[in-house]
Amino acid sequence: MRTHRPEPHTLAGAYALDALTGADRARFERHLARCPQCAQEIRGLREATARLAAAAAEQPPAGLTERALAAAARTRQLPPLTRGSRLSWRRAAARRHGWAAPARGRTPGRAWMPRLALALAGAAIILAGILGLTARDAQHQLQQDQQHARIIAAVLTARDATMFSGRVSTGGTATIVMSAHEHALVFAAAGLRPLPPSRCYELWLMRPGGDQPAGMLPEPQHGMTGPVLASGLKPGDHLGLTIEPTGGTPHPTTTAILLLPL
Amino acid sequence: MLGRVARGDQDAFEAVCRYIAAPVFGTVRAVVRDVPQSEEVAQEVLVEVWQHASRFDASRGSALAWVTTIAHRRAVDRVRSEQRSAERERRAAAFRVAYNDVVETAEANLDAERVRRCLRSLTILQREAVTLAYYGGYTYRQVAGLLGVAAGTVSTRMRDGLIRLRDCLGVQP
Repeated sequence: MRTHRPEPHTLAGAYALDALTGADRARFERHLARCPQCAQEIRGLREATARLAAAAAEQPPAGLTERALAAAARTRQLPPLTRGSRLSWRRAAARRHGWAAPARGRTPGRAWMPRLALALAGAAIILAGILGLTARDAQHQLQQDQQHARIIAAVLTARDATMFSGRVSTGGTATIVMSAHEHALVFAAAGLRPLPPSRCYELWLMRPGGDQPAGMLPEPQHGMTGPVLASGLKPGDHLGLTIEPTGGTPHPTTTAILLLPL
Repeated sequence: MLGRVARGDQDAFEAVCRYIAAPVFGTVRAVVRDVPQSEEVAQEVLVEVWQHASRFDASRGSALAWVTTIAHRRAVDRVRSEQRSAERERRAAAFRVAYNDVVETAEANLDAERVRRCLRSLTILQREAVTLAYYGGYTYRQVAGLLGVAAGTVSTRMRDGLIRLRDCLGVQP
């Protein structure tokens, strides 16, 4: 797999997205140094990525700017590059900071965190429109979904997050990320057998004192179902999945098609 | 304004910070996720802007592009820890279903609206390749693994996607 070598020029997009590392990156930078059109193209693509950045703009926590100002006051500025330097600012910065060989992972990444079910929030607006909900209902729903998405994010990025999977006896595979610390798990599945409209998949937290309903699975998209959040986990719980009448039931009425100890 | 910053003008730097803090923090947080860590990285970015202001060359691109390039670069450096990358990939692959439309739920602002509209004009593969790399902080080889397509295909889609995005947004250096 590592032997694959795309044409250097086609890597311009990956380079502009900081998606090249190691040998790929070094190779492209060598190419870049000899290719003024590529440098020009990179500049244009960087303007596009700058808009991706602006679109993700988010108010920073209070005090960030003040701390940066204080740190700047203690930091000596670099002199300008002298005339005749053939380095672009990008390459100069890269050289200055050893960007070509970045310092690696001081802190392991909980970093990867998908924005996951944030899409849920967008979907809520559309759904609200379809259902003819009032703006206030939609707003409420949106807040709920955002709250929901935040909890999902917390589970997926929890330090104690563990991931496991299991086969669904009627077809498909379930993947679970669980955090005992967050008392919650995130469930997703691939390839579940489609059900008639009168039936749905329902999740359960199964325990001796009585099984707790943990939510109905949504319709699959691109063959994937979920993610679904199940919270209120207790030690010793099992995760169960059953097929129930649409709308769900308070107690499982059929045999579990997936049963996993948590 | 960056010219004044380069000459050590702290008031100018403060004004620049007020303007760039939100895009810098938002970008870093999209990639890094953890808020305290994102704050730390964002602060490093702002200090780097101060330190390197004299190296900014307006003939080579906009100030926003210069700043966000620094921010994104630092964010991916922070997350690319080899030891956890396999785990990251596994989890991301499992939950990819909802991963590809990051800006769909960004705070309402004009930039987000335009970017959203333009991202929709890309093909699905182009859009996933671009957003997984930019907001997920993945390398193009990791993106290829996540999407189950050849690395060469991903690099082409990233380039085509960004070109289309650039043209749709009407931005030029």
